Amino acid sequence: MQVIDKNNPSPEWIASLRKRFPTEKEMDRVLTRKLQRRAGPGYTPIGLETFCASLQSLLRAELKDPFEIRDARWLSGGASKLQVAFKLDWNQPGVGRTTTPMVIRMEPAESIVETSRLREFQIIKAMDGVLPVPPVYWIDDEPKYFPYPTIIYGFAEGVVKPSGAGSNVSGLGINFGPELRKVLSKQYMDQLARMHTWDWSKANLSSLDVPPIGKRTFEMHLNWWRRVWEEDSNRDVPLLRLAANWLEDNMPAADRLSMIHGDWRAGNFLFTEHDQRISAWLDWELGHLGDFHEDVSYILRPDLGHLAEDGKTYLYSGMMTREAIYEAYEKATGFTINPKTIKYYDVFHQYRSAVIVIASGYRPARNGKTHQDLLLTWIMGFGYLNLDNLRKMLEEVG
Amino acid sequence: MEVRPDIQIQVILKALKDVILPAVDKENKLAQEQTHLAIGTLQLMAKFLPIAYRYDRDELDRYVGLSRNLIAQVGNEAGGGAFKNLETIAAHGADVLERARAEPAEMEKAIFDLRATVGELIEAVHADGDKAAQASVRKLVLAAAKPELERERAVVVDMGWETDPSTHAPLIEKQLPPLKA
Repeated sequence: MQVIDKNNPSPEWIASLRKRFPTEKEMDRVLTRKLQRRAGPGYTPIGLETFCASLQSLLRAELKDPFEIRDARWLSGGASKLQVAFKLDWNQPGVGRTTTPMVIRMEPAESIVETSRLREFQIIKAMDGVLPVPPVYWIDDEPKYFPYPTIIYGFAEGVVKPSGAGSNVSGLGINFGPELRKVLSKQYMDQLARMHTWDWSKANLSSLDVPPIGKRTFEMHLNWWRRVWEEDSNRDVPLLRLAANWLEDNMPAADRLSMIHGDWRAGNFLFTEHDQRISAWLDWELGHLGDFHEDVSYILRPDLGHLAEDGKTYLYSGMMTREAIYEAYEKATGFTINPKTIKYYDVFHQYRSAVIVIASGYRPARNGKTHQDLLLTWIMGFGYLNLDNLRKMLEEVG
Repeated sequence: MEVRPDIQIQVILKALKDVILPAVDKENKLAQEQTHLAIGTLQLMAKFLPIAYRYDRDELDRYVGLSRNLIAQVGNEAGGGAFKNLETIAAHGADVLERARAEPAEMEKAIFDLRATVGELIEAVHADGDKAAQASVRKLVLAAAKPELERERAVVVDMGWETDPSTHAPLIEKQLPPLKA
């Protein structure tokens, strides 16, 4: 039988995937670039000095006045990008001489979640004033100064989990405890509602396609993940074929378009412990325009929460019960949640998650493309629980 | 199953070489030496793993050959009880050798090919099949996925992704068919 060498993708194969799975222009660009570079070198360790030298070059091009970079240090957390914190002494426009803590966020040679830095930059900038987000300063998308596409954003104060609380390697399963949970869950839901009701039409979001409202709203987005499965998977998984076909056949009609975060969960926001306020929403790389049900379903994922202190009540997102989430969301947005549409996106999220961890966890690690291939192969283990959840859901939906 | 020793050894080596070794105290000679030994040992494992089965089969073949030659040339009187034992064990070795035909890599490729072709069939039936064919595909694929995922979940259970022990899949040793006696 004909075997496709996914580690050395041919131009014909890339073209066939682009044709088979039409998706947003920016995502097509990013995924095509990934495949074109795949046969190239793997990731080799980059020292802090190299990061700072790249940053120096970028800042020399961007800033007229003298500046100084200091206190550069690695940040841990996340499975997909490299992050370095530093302080910049500079003449900030509109502020004057000041010292600003910032973060460099750079892609590895190929990522477990291959996304667009341009899109991330634009969305964070657009969300400023809508939600607590870190300020974004510069982008090197081509890239011209850094080894790989990079954005520079402000360092946001706060922590992802209470001091001393546990979670697993990817930040899933954080337990905030009953008191803090009560305070944070209100902000968590209110801010989700604020994002979904925000008028995005006047913002500069040129890297996002605007999908049609109605039956085909989700088509381009579904194609994104179907394409990634084809590009990255090692072995075929019949269950995922079945799931993708079901998702294609059952796309719900959307009656409005909202900004979708795509990964709205504990671990992706920071909060300040002294006043218990969410200080920044992070990880906007999966952001796109779509049906609000997509994010609501995501926060109801059965594998992102934990049992409450009574040992019986399941807290979705580690925050609230399903009923409380429905009630809080509908009250804050004025929207009506359609449980059938939620079910559709429940299936999608298990599908997407399996694509990410099983296919895109495997391929970059196989080719030595990231700074933490070991973590990627560890996360692959999560995929079998995903698949089993998907199997149960497909049995339920009939 | 993607979580397999070949890729696992590769990524452990990369982590040891790129991240851990540079962070080991240069003055701690024991830690330096142990880290280098760990890297060297894993490199040996990575080299041996793909040929381990062929290596063992070749060794078994040689020992069956040696045993047969010994049986033919030494004779019952000189060998005593060991002669009888060797006849029995050599016959068993020859039987195992006879059954050990396909290589692990061949087995893996056959599985890959079947998975891919089943996938093609699913797509074809989805595109052009009638409702009855689609329903059959759906039923069979879902039914096959259940035991497959029980095996996969059991292999990675120690990673800790499933926190409730009451829902864990049965131990992988219990799920696999027993070795032929």
